[in-house]
Amino acid sequence: MNGNIYHDKRAQWVVYIVFFVSLGLIPVMQADPFLLNQLAVFGIYGLLAMSISLCWGTGGILNLGQGIAFGMGAYGMAMTMQMQSQDPEFSPLPSFMSTNGLEQLPWFWEPFWSTGGGIFLALAVPTIFSLIFGALMFQARVSGPFFAIMSLAMLSAFYILVLDMQPYTNGANGISPRMPLEVAGYSLDPYSPAAYWLIFGLLFSLTVLAKLLNQSKFGQIVRALREDPERVRFLGYNVALYETLIYAISAFIAAVAGCCFTILIQYVSPDQFDVVFSITMVIWAAVGGRLSLIGAIIGAFLIQGSESYLGDQFLNSWHLILGFFFVIIVRFLPNGLAGLLEMLLAKRSRSSTEESPPHGRAKSPAAANAEKAGV
Amino acid sequence: MDYSWAPLMGSLVLGLSIASIWLVAALGLTIIYGTAGVINMAHGEFIMLGAYAAYCAQAYLGTPFLLCLPISFVVVALIGLFFERVLIRYLYHRPLDTLLATWGVSLMLTQGVRMIFGSSPKYVQVPEFLSGNVSLGIMNMSSLRILIVLMTVVLIVGIWYLFYRTYFGIKIRAVTQNREMAASFGVNSERIYMCTFALGAGLAGVAGCLFSALAIVLPTMGSNYVVESFLVVVTGGGPLVGSIAASAMMGEFKSFFSYFFNSTFAQFLLFVLIVIVLRFRPNGLFANTAVRR
Repeated sequence: MNGNIYHDKRAQWVVYIVFFVSLGLIPVMQADPFLLNQLAVFGIYGLLAMSISLCWGTGGILNLGQGIAFGMGAYGMAMTMQMQSQDPEFSPLPSFMSTNGLEQLPWFWEPFWSTGGGIFLALAVPTIFSLIFGALMFQARVSGPFFAIMSLAMLSAFYILVLDMQPYTNGANGISPRMPLEVAGYSLDPYSPAAYWLIFGLLFSLTVLAKLLNQSKFGQIVRALREDPERVRFLGYNVALYETLIYAISAFIAAVAGCCFTILIQYVSPDQFDVVFSITMVIWAAVGGRLSLIGAIIGAFLIQGSESYLGDQFLNSWHLILGFFFVIIVRFLPNGLAGLLEMLLAKRSRSSTEESPPHGRAKSPAAANAEKAGV
Repeated sequence: MDYSWAPLMGSLVLGLSIASIWLVAALGLTIIYGTAGVINMAHGEFIMLGAYAAYCAQAYLGTPFLLCLPISFVVVALIGLFFERVLIRYLYHRPLDTLLATWGVSLMLTQGVRMIFGSSPKYVQVPEFLSGNVSLGIMNMSSLRILIVLMTVVLIVGIWYLFYRTYFGIKIRAVTQNREMAASFGVNSERIYMCTFALGAGLAGVAGCLFSALAIVLPTMGSNYVVESFLVVVTGGGPLVGSIAASAMMGEFKSFFSYFFNSTFAQFLLFVLIVIVLRFRPNGLFANTAVRR
């Protein structure tokens, strides 16, 4: 076999199967509820890193404001869960609203009486917002670093807005629903294996869907415009439309992650809109490898895992280490750890086909690059 | 309408003060972005380092406040020079990666300063003539804010002179417009980039020194300025005149909105307004059409 096994589709699916089967088996072997909850939170980080990888790796759109969709999703779910514990007749107002002087439930809280409607809004609002914001930006051909800065500005605008609207969002204190989410009479205990499997199932299905999307014609066009938007435009494609769509899809995944986050933590605060958190998502994807969906997920696991488990020894210097590591990755490994693996495998396949160099090296680096589908 | 005119005029003067603060914070960023196209996410941390340089000079050497300004400039310019040499110069052709790498630098700087100086706030003393208020007829303004306005004007004139009236400035503008062509005329573009980056960092240091007197000095203070600085540069489009116009408009709008709503909601409105402006002028108000990269 010539060519890099890294680009072999069958090998990629084998990696997927091994990765997800081993993740799925964890609750069978490990029953500690707190550990399961923490691992499920890591799964959410994996979802976020994967969404960044889709937007930035596939589409070349560096989004420093993924926290907008994540935070909106998290707040939407928190509002849903909060309203589940309110009584429509005797105590229709969450207690923080009455302490802040509200007498009536604000109109935009009303739909959250219904669990289904609330979850629908928690997912739909961030997606529609991203469609509008993306369309505004991409139609004006704002791209590259400019888009990154604008997404960052938008994120910090939301941060101060949520912080400021104390009566409606409880400001810096955030919303902490008393009860776990209840769906169709079943209460979803955040420390149960069921919660873990919910997150795992979402991570699994969304990642597989994202990979199929990457391999579709849509994915190919999006990758093409990452390399050269002008040329794609000359070929007659509506570049802004494709950019907006991939940005909105990525935002939808982040919104799902936001919903799951509130289910697991039962707490939401403006920290979810924090600039540092959004850039941390980008760091996960960059370290794991932005071109590879699974690489980005592993990057999130690695960084958050080491923060939690090495954190005690390096508590003071953690950001110093993280910053240094990130600089090294950007400087020497722009495609992250997955890129490193790709390079190593390429070296191996080259040495194994050394006897027939013209055949083995028929592919130019550019051609190989164009073929790259992302693991 | 019950609004009287005096407070509105007052808020316009306040807007000028806000604008000067944002502009002085964004000056270094403007020069670095305008010349080399580098998005320096560590800019806020350079401001923070300038503030700490002023604090150290005052606490350990007893330097008077006004002398801290050049000290901050030199210290932060040297730090900027160091990062340019070891990191940024390898990334000039990858603008998105400079953004990420400088974010890593900013993480390291924040944490490094926190480990050395601790998380408790530091204070910088200002001389007596700067701690009072000056009456401007319709309102009182702290003399420190007036100093910042004056310093901004001085710095702008200085930068204008450097860019448009010196031989070095000609070389900078030549490299900005066309790096290869300038290089073929014997301009060492790498050295120009290096000097510009150090100059931009130094200007951030001066801004930090000024802000150290305005607010408390904290390892995280940089993040208070970085988003606004970036918006000034992005809205302005890169050239110096763009940043001046953008910061003036942003400051006045912020102050104007704050007059009708509260200050946080004014900030939100301002950001939304900038998004809409960029929809119609995606390269900023004063896009430098001569730049080719």
